[in-house]
Amino acid sequence: MQAEGIEYIKFTTLSPERIKRMSVAKLIVPDTYNEDGYPIDGGLVDQRLGVIDPGLKCKTCGGRAKTCPGHFGHIELVRPVIHPEFSKTIYLLLQSTCFQCHRLLLTEAQVQEIQPVIKTFVSAEEPEEAAVTTVDITTLASVFGEQDSRAILIKKLKSVKKCPHCTTPQPKLKLERPTFFYVDGNKQKPDEIRDWLSKIPDSDLKLIGIDATATRPEWFILTTLLVPPVNVRPSITLESGERSEDDLTHKLVDIMRINQRLEQDIDAGAPQIIIDDLWELLQYQVTTYFNNETPGVPVARHRSTRPLKTLAQRLKGKEGRLRYNLSGKRVNFSARTVISSDASLTVNQVGIPSRIAENLTVPIYVALWNVDYARKYIDSKAYPTAINVIMKDGIRKRVSDVNREELSKGLAPGMIVERQLVDGDLALFNRQPTLHRMSIMAHTVKVLPGRTMRLHVSVAMPYNADFDGDEMNLHIPQSLEAMAEARYLMQPKDQVLSARDGRPILFTEEDEIIGAYLLTQDNIKFAKDDACRMLAGIDVYELPKASKDGTYTGKSLFSKTLPKGLNFEGKTADGKTTIKNGELVDGVVDEKMIGGGGGTLIAKIFDEYGSDICMHFLLNVAKLSLMMTAKVGMTVSVRDYYNSDAILKERTKIVNEVESKANDILQKYKNNQLERLPGYTRKETFELIVMAQLEEARHLAENVLKKSLTVENRAFLMAKVRARGNILNFVQTNMLLGQQSIRGRRPSRGYTGRILPYFKRSSKLPAAKGFIKSSFFDGLQPTEFYMHAMGARDSAMTKSLVTAVSGYLQRRLVNAMQDFYVGKDLSVRDASGGLVQTIYGGDGLDPTRVRIAKGTM
Amino acid sequence: MSAPRELIPEHKLLSESEAKKVSKEYGIPLEKFPKILESDAQCTKLGAKSGNLVAIHMDDPTGKYTTYRYVVRG
Repeated sequence: MQAEGIEYIKFTTLSPERIKRMSVAKLIVPDTYNEDGYPIDGGLVDQRLGVIDPGLKCKTCGGRAKTCPGHFGHIELVRPVIHPEFSKTIYLLLQSTCFQCHRLLLTEAQVQEIQPVIKTFVSAEEPEEAAVTTVDITTLASVFGEQDSRAILIKKLKSVKKCPHCTTPQPKLKLERPTFFYVDGNKQKPDEIRDWLSKIPDSDLKLIGIDATATRPEWFILTTLLVPPVNVRPSITLESGERSEDDLTHKLVDIMRINQRLEQDIDAGAPQIIIDDLWELLQYQVTTYFNNETPGVPVARHRSTRPLKTLAQRLKGKEGRLRYNLSGKRVNFSARTVISSDASLTVNQVGIPSRIAENLTVPIYVALWNVDYARKYIDSKAYPTAINVIMKDGIRKRVSDVNREELSKGLAPGMIVERQLVDGDLALFNRQPTLHRMSIMAHTVKVLPGRTMRLHVSVAMPYNADFDGDEMNLHIPQSLEAMAEARYLMQPKDQVLSARDGRPILFTEEDEIIGAYLLTQDNIKFAKDDACRMLAGIDVYELPKASKDGTYTGKSLFSKTLPKGLNFEGKTADGKTTIKNGELVDGVVDEKMIGGGGGTLIAKIFDEYGSDICMHFLLNVAKLSLMMTAKVGMTVSVRDYYNSDAILKERTKIVNEVESKANDILQKYKNNQLERLPGYTRKETFELIVMAQLEEARHLAENVLKKSLTVENRAFLMAKVRARGNILNFVQTNMLLGQQSIRGRRPSRGYTGRILPYFKRSSKLPAAKGFIKSSFFDGLQPTEFYMHAMGARDSAMTKSLVTAVSGYLQRRLVNAMQDFYVGKDLSVRDASGGLVQTIYGGDGLDPTRVRIAKGTM
Repeated sequence: MSAPRELIPEHKLLSESEAKKVSKEYGIPLEKFPKILESDAQCTKLGAKSGNLVAIHMDDPTGKYTTYRYVVRG
């Protein structure tokens, strides 16, 4: 987004005169409608304030419900009340000025001293003397910090004991939140405070940053109250015909009622106590009218005991005007439903339920060359039909059987036809939270039966979507610019390489990887019929060259997915893999080549053959591999996790070895022979070394397992190819769980000197400190189970905390940098064109275009 | 503790005409350049005052390039 320069913004307060000038009606009756349901004149829904019921005419502007914007009214308060949101400012003003002569508590010399500061602040970039900025002096102190002379000034004023002008000793002031002021312990009435404030000279106000031409401090005390138009507080008619008023109207009725009673009592000459009580009640009503969550004030409630939603509540918080209505808006031409997977789609497609496709529209901007094309949609009576025609004057006409012929005949260039969504249209597809640019991509529409939107599983990764009930949003671009942008920049097939590190973000996973691995092993052979069936699955109808015995190798089948002429060398878990002239000559394909662990082959094909071929390669590999997985019957069973006696013997050996080593360290520690590590105490050193030693058990077990397990064990095979699981899972199910840790240390809390009462106090045995000898397969000892539960809880808590914290940090960074762009000179600029980096990233390189040359890394 | 001097890239105070040239090259006024405090050790060393432009010659493993800082009061 480009920023426009704002010269300055000026906030001022409304004067009573200004309120009266704005107002179209003085309101006097604390009621709304009479018995006939007709608005009372001088009441809170006076027709001069605007109308919201259809049929009535506004008495101010003559407009109807739709055209009248509403007009402000006012209430004359019999006694002034303090505006609660200004009480802090009032307090500061009282503190800064003399009780007697109402001058600022500064000597002439002091005034001279601070004058330049005021000048530079008030008219820094504004030569006109008149345009003085008014600032809340409380915020001023915090903005400028303690060092600033202004903050010091305010502090100084508080401590002045005697007025430098009239030498009156200053009384003690107190503010009892939110609206009660005391002078030497005597409660001050709002009118007394108003008198004081009104006597502060304009020139003195300027010194503390208040422009008296715009805001006089006595206006902080209300004598007239501005009443918002009825449009702001509309009443709703219930089904029963009963009227229900807005909370604001209720509150205003309360204010007027007390105001009226106060007036009557004063006129009748009621005792002062009664009048003061009513006055205070009026103050309460006004305070809650502005903010019903004012601290120190009981909340005003509705008859149903629900707290009233008054002015501040309308603006505040997630459901407030700012965050809900201004920052967040509802969008047309969009849809949202549950998503599910569809393997027959391409990664570039999205399946749209026909019911959604019938309701979403795509505009056809009618020109000479496409009138006939547009007309076809208007003439059609069934599904791909036109919904609306927008005439040249912008009037939208709905196409129906009545006007179809007429619209079809009258169709001319310059009109817009809104037709239903059809196959091949582009739609923006989005899943929240929208954390990176791949969270919104442009998919080609495929209209499908059913009620869910469908996507290819491989594209679920960039969206971070799964199919356990996730919902996603769809938007139809409406302008030609938006359509072009979507088409050329936002399609998943073009987003294969991540802007973060240049690695593919679209790749194969799990079953697809194990299938590709199995297929490309050296000894895999297919009979002719099998080979034909496999290849037909990916739309290939010519067989590769047969081996001497008339069979077809898995490698030759896999080669059919590769683009012609591809030359590639890649590393896998099994070693090197070579592709020559589009043929897989040697080696296997695994996760490093086609999966998330680099996806080197995908990146290569994207690089050399472009997005379309790369996408089809990805889809074909996935399909072929899944066929292979199914054909092999890829599965695991309990047998894969069974412990042989030999393995168990190995385990005992490992445990004994590790424990004896740990014991040696313990002996050394007890004999004071342990060398202290730099920066650690002896005890810390001991813990560190012992823990490292005990954790070593897992590595030892891993090495033993690696030696004894073969790829016949399918679970091990999956871990090896990195399709699913890892060796640690194996170690823990087959051999031993190993050392548990809490906050990176061995468990240490619980009972006095021990974790569980089962152990001896201050026992340093591995088992007493969370070392688990059992495996998941065998089951855990009760004490071990407890230790494991502690470790599991710790890691669960840490994990959720870390994701929340780092997610928020990431969000703040993204928000701060969202307007940055790389200019054509490769410099990074902010929204106003300001320089951020002279050259992007210090090297001007785009990660998606970086290739690592052979032998450099 | 101050940073080892070999880790501090070379700072150079630009003359007014040089600054003007750089400002024109990037098409922005001096105030829109990244900022550096007058009290920064490198500024005091160079005698750079607020309103000056300082060139910093970076020598990263990825390559050499020059960035600029506009000196501000503080």
